Amino acid sequence: MNLPLEHTALAVVGAGPAGLCAAVEAARSGVPVVVLDENERAGGQLFKQVHRFFGSRRHGAGKRGYEIADDLIAECLRAGVDIRLGSSVIAFFPEGELMVDGPGGVYLVRPQAVVIATGASEKTIAFPGWTLPGIMGAGAAQTLVNVHGVLPGKRVLIAGAGNVGLIVSYQLLQAGADVVGIVEASHGVSGYEVHLDRVRREGVPIYPGHRIISARGRDGLEAVVVKDLRGGRTVLFEADSLCMAVGMSPMAELAAMRGCRMVFREELGGFLPWHDEKMRAGLQGVYVAGDAAGVEEASVAMEEGRMSGISAAEEMGSMKKRQAAARRAAVSRRLADLRRGPYGEARMAAKCSLYCA
Amino acid sequence: MGESGDIDEIWRRAEGGAVAILDCREEIPCDPCEAVCARGAIVVGKNVCDLPRYDPGLCNGCGRCVAICPGMAIYLLDRSSRDGGARLTLPYEMKEEIKAGDEVWALDEDGSPLGKGKVVKTAKMNKRDHSLLVTVDVPEEWALKVRGVRIRVMSIGEPLEVRGCQREEDHLLCRCEEISRSQAREYAAMGFNSLRALRRFSRVGLGYCQGRFCQAMLVDEFSTAAFRDREGVGVFKVRPPVRPVKLGRLGGENG
Ligand SMILES: Cc1cc2nc3c(=O)[nH]c(=O)nc-3n(C[C@H](O)[C@H](O)[C@H](O)COP(=O)(O)OP(=O)(O)OC[C@H]3O[C@@H](n4cnc5c(N)ncnc54)[C@H](O)[C@@H]3O)c2cc1C
Ligand code: SF4
Ligand code: SF4
Repeated sequence: MNLPLEHTALAVVGAGPAGLCAAVEAARSGVPVVVLDENERAGGQLFKQVHRFFGSRRHGAGKRGYEIADDLIAECLRAGVDIRLGSSVIAFFPEGELMVDGPGGVYLVRPQAVVIATGASEKTIAFPGWTLPGIMGAGAAQTLVNVHGVLPGKRVLIAGAGNVGLIVSYQLLQAGADVVGIVEASHGVSGYEVHLDRVRREGVPIYPGHRIISARGRDGLEAVVVKDLRGGRTVLFEADSLCMAVGMSPMAELAAMRGCRMVFREELGGFLPWHDEKMRAGLQGVYVAGDAAGVEEASVAMEEGRMSGISAAEEMGSMKKRQAAARRAAVSRRLADLRRGPYGEARMAAKCSLYCA
Repeated sequence: MGESGDIDEIWRRAEGGAVAILDCREEIPCDPCEAVCARGAIVVGKNVCDLPRYDPGLCNGCGRCVAICPGMAIYLLDRSSRDGGARLTLPYEMKEEIKAGDEVWALDEDGSPLGKGKVVKTAKMNKRDHSLLVTVDVPEEWALKVRGVRIRVMSIGEPLEVRGCQREEDHLLCRCEEISRSQAREYAAMGFNSLRALRRFSRVGLGYCQGRFCQAMLVDEFSTAAFRDREGVGVFKVRPPVRPVKLGRLGGENG
């Protein structure tokens, strides 16, 4: 196998908010940056999101996801970042090379530093019938509705009352589907109250403490059987689609392949590459950022991306130590602000358990 | 005074014209309402997670905060009309079109229709999407109850009760290599207590998805069955490629 080999300073894997911010930060300090993303559009999760974003103003809150993405892409292009789309990174070898499956074929990239900003993947749960057509991840449902303008079904049941489940429910309503309910195995709603209020006032019933037992149907989904864990009653929802929004977990296979140590943190979505406060993943020239380093939110992903970009630029000698330290301090402050409140504190504690360990 | 303003004061002020009502009760990282209010009536302050503090005395009812709030948690109340009703301005983002003169359902916080209201005006929230600010006249008794408007109300019905005992059926965990939950439990009973050890023995995680779909479920199953924490159960060793790729392309072909 003799593949073309390319050298570069910084390679960023993933053009979501984390990757784009990492790229901007490094490129502005003079580092040549290549961003690789397997999608045909840059922006990661953002370009699928048609709702107005939470977060702080400086992270584009109040704008819709795809608008935030467009702004970040423009910033990258102004800073001279080389964004390559349709380019899957299929391996990150322990020797430090990336293998890329791009539009022109497969090639190798040998960068001085790599930021892994590959985002998160959806968790699934299995039950009898879970492979029936009509059952899909919330992400797939979103792609159908928001990108292709197709409804996953007419009567949709949602599994999971976290922010993703609530947002996707709303988007399905917007597109004209009936959402027959949101079932949630735990006893509370983990999503924000404002998101919950939005779907409730559209008449969507919420069923906390309800677990899916099985899915039924001949050629496709027809009904979902659900057990009420408190009342003990078993009920059946007639639905032609079931969207699973049961959580996301960091997608960091590349870091694992490279040899990074994987740790488990429930609050951050599961297994993730260990990293320090500077977003260094414990190996020379390897950084992680965004959901790949623990599932949080877009504004956090952006700040972590900036952090990794600053650290990489410093270690490559393009940014002075003092300047880097000052910029990192500002990012740390903003991250601490974002990780306050009843939702942020647990994530803050989980992150801290990494740095302190 | 509460963070979101004193409701009696808001009620009184609404007699003179539109005034905002904030229904934002949780500390979440969010603050666009602050920036958009030119009157300084909403202040979140330095910490984005703080609740917005709202002073109805400063509000002029411009509605910009209603349009920007991602939680759709703000609306306007106007009680200045002489016939005693309440005029509300609410955000609306559904596909079915609403225009001035329409009769629409007024929904409460649970989505139950209170009755019909008459749309007096609509305004686009911004140039890039279809969302609207809908101004609707409703009876005064509903003034603080209405949280949304809709053309079509869903009729979804209640779920049906299933009688009789549901026995637990077996099912697949790994789709690619067809490994069922009962099989996974058998492996755990045989003493396999890490995913890497299991993969040496069975083909689980070596199928098309390379463990991407089944890994988390197997970790859960094993940690329960083998009383082991998840880090101990561990993850599969990741092998290239992490994305399916045609073999020919690795040989330098482009197709
Ligand atoms: C339904 C939904 C609603 C949300 N709403 C909000 C909200 O209102 N406010 C908020 O702050 N956050 C929200 N979030 C969370 C937010 O979208 C994410 O936290 C954020 O996008 C994470 O950014 P990221 O850059 O880490 O990853 P992503 O945005 O997921 O980007 C990762 C990118 O990496 C690419 N990639 C992955 N693997 C490879 C590979 N091997 N090779 C090449 N490319 C690869 C992917 O194609 C993708 O483009 C929401 C998420 C969802 C799912
Ligand atoms: S309606 Fe206008 S003036 Fe009143 S709080 Fe909202 S933005 Fe400020
Ligand atoms: S914009 Fe809306 S959800 Fe965000 S803080 Fe203001 S009122 Fe609350």
